[in-house]
Amino acid sequence: MYDAIAAMGSVFLDPYLIFLVAVTTVGGVIIGALPGLGATTGAALLLSFTLTMEPIHAITVLTTIYVSATFAGSITAILINTPGTSSSAVTCLDGYPLAQRGEAGRALGVAVVSSTIGGIFSVFALAIAAPMMASVAYEFRPPEYFALTLFGLSMLATISGGGAVKNLIGGVFGVWLATIGADKSTSIERFMFGQYELYEGLDFISVMIGLFAMSELLVQAGALKNSAAVVRMKAITLPSMADYRKIWRAVLRSCGIGTFVGILPAEGATVASMIGYSEARRWSKNPEEFGKGSIEGIAGAEAANNAATGGAMVPTMVLGIPGSGTAAVILVGLLVHGLRPGPYLFTEQVDTVYAIFGAMLLANLMFLVIGLFFAKQFARVSLIPIPILWPIVFALSIIGAYALNQSMLDVWLVLIFGVIGFFMRRFGFDVAPVAIGLILGHMVETNLQNSLKIFDGAWWMILTQPLALIFIVLSAITLFGPALLARFRRRAA
Amino acid sequence: MSHLEELQSDLPDRETGTREKPALADLLVPVFIFVFAAVVVGLALTFDRAPAAFVGFGMQPRAFPIFLMGAVIILNLFLIRETIKNPPERREPLDGMVWITIALMGVFALVTTFADMMLALAITIFAKSLLWGERRVWVALALAILTPLTILLFFDLVLEVRFPRGLLTNIYYG
Repeated sequence: MYDAIAAMGSVFLDPYLIFLVAVTTVGGVIIGALPGLGATTGAALLLSFTLTMEPIHAITVLTTIYVSATFAGSITAILINTPGTSSSAVTCLDGYPLAQRGEAGRALGVAVVSSTIGGIFSVFALAIAAPMMASVAYEFRPPEYFALTLFGLSMLATISGGGAVKNLIGGVFGVWLATIGADKSTSIERFMFGQYELYEGLDFISVMIGLFAMSELLVQAGALKNSAAVVRMKAITLPSMADYRKIWRAVLRSCGIGTFVGILPAEGATVASMIGYSEARRWSKNPEEFGKGSIEGIAGAEAANNAATGGAMVPTMVLGIPGSGTAAVILVGLLVHGLRPGPYLFTEQVDTVYAIFGAMLLANLMFLVIGLFFAKQFARVSLIPIPILWPIVFALSIIGAYALNQSMLDVWLVLIFGVIGFFMRRFGFDVAPVAIGLILGHMVETNLQNSLKIFDGAWWMILTQPLALIFIVLSAITLFGPALLARFRRRAA
Repeated sequence: MSHLEELQSDLPDRETGTREKPALADLLVPVFIFVFAAVVVGLALTFDRAPAAFVGFGMQPRAFPIFLMGAVIILNLFLIRETIKNPPERREPLDGMVWITIALMGVFALVTTFADMMLALAITIFAKSLLWGERRVWVALALAILTPLTILLFFDLVLEVRFPRGLLTNIYYG
């Protein structure tokens, strides 16, 4: 316990790490402030830059991007009515009306403070919940892991984006992508078409850069005519005591909601912010102000989306199941740097794990300072002309994919998955389920295969394992619960 | 309707415009998914079979992809039902710039394969910048020269990444 606290505290005494967090926070805020370039794309693009770093530093960079970009999406949401990240979409509803009334500084102040509180709360929740979950996860064998990954996939039905069916199709497509390459247990080639570079399977990083960054580039290509109105802002002001009195309940509620939603596999900041906003409105004494410039609305959404960042890291690190799209990229970062996510991470590399938690705490404090003093400057970043910004993103995407294995195949994968991702989005499919499915794919197949071997081919024996049964029942509830509930309500009415 | 959809529909100012009947184009997606699943199953059936002693009570390599495509086909039936019941909003025609940008990706691939990766980046960046609305040619040119150059120097000197040899990289590497 003391070792863990010491490891967490050591981050605050490491000048290089503090410098790294400061620089990355600035980078993350810029990425988050740029419409289209969210935390996931930013983390995917920066992954290759972290290859030569120490594991702690590399994961620190990725998690700092995660928390700072998640917050920074609110800057453009408030100032130009364009959410920098999808998790800030609901912040537009009240942030922009406030900005139009000349209270942009107040709105940003509420967003910064709420995000910081949400982020710090979730880091402590992560530090407490992760080891507890790890102690349970020690008991997991292949049947339990198989059922758990199934639960993770079923959760795709509830995330925002394309809708339940499309998300599930995307998730299964991602799992199928994971079957490309040599079969792990027999070495028989599958869907390789003579490309021996695919023997180990598709490279996660290339696929993610393609799905997130390159597809976004094509989305931007189709939206060049859209422009955003810019609101003038004199300075950021801290919320007044009256404001704090008004928002504290919404912030605390959203801290809990965000952390809980983040812990659920595959859920993320976007869902958390929607629920946080909705609950803030439900419990507010002035629900009529929502949508017209309510600071409770901003606080509810922003505290929840940043609280989800820490929550999402719990299943990512403890179970190897990404808590969100960005967590999926961080998971790849952990693997690339030789840190195998799972319960043993908490006994074998406890210093590293808690140093990462400490870095996340530091990042939350850092963007409080940077957000309060420099938000106005960062908002200007969003005015970088698209014809300059996106060609650079194109170059970084290509080189980022190439750098990892120095293989041209990875470059082609970026281009191919960029086009696939674009058309998926065009037809209403979210790309995050594909990324999550790809990561979970190996786990699903390997654990199903091992379970069948354990039970001599009797697959139904998986249902006799209590923990596995719980996850399978939860999966069934997730998949069929809402439809059954709706039918029940219709009959009752 | 999922919990999230309920919440989303509860939010103010949400546009929920849908049409009464699905267009034929809306059903192209499920058709494409069916064809894709059928092709995958067809390919999976061509995989070598592992000896029984090797696989034991586990699955043959072809089994899991076929199982997945079975799941996709079932989900696709739900998608068709959903599309018919709630036709999606009419999509704007695809902007021509998207096709141009995809074509530029093709140009990048060709120039990389037959000439040089850095040259390909420079050409693509220059063309993309101008086509996407940059009116100052010198800005697009500066971007096209400086971006690949910075990338080459940074990745070579700091990250020690070697780029594939070509017209320009040969000059750099000697």
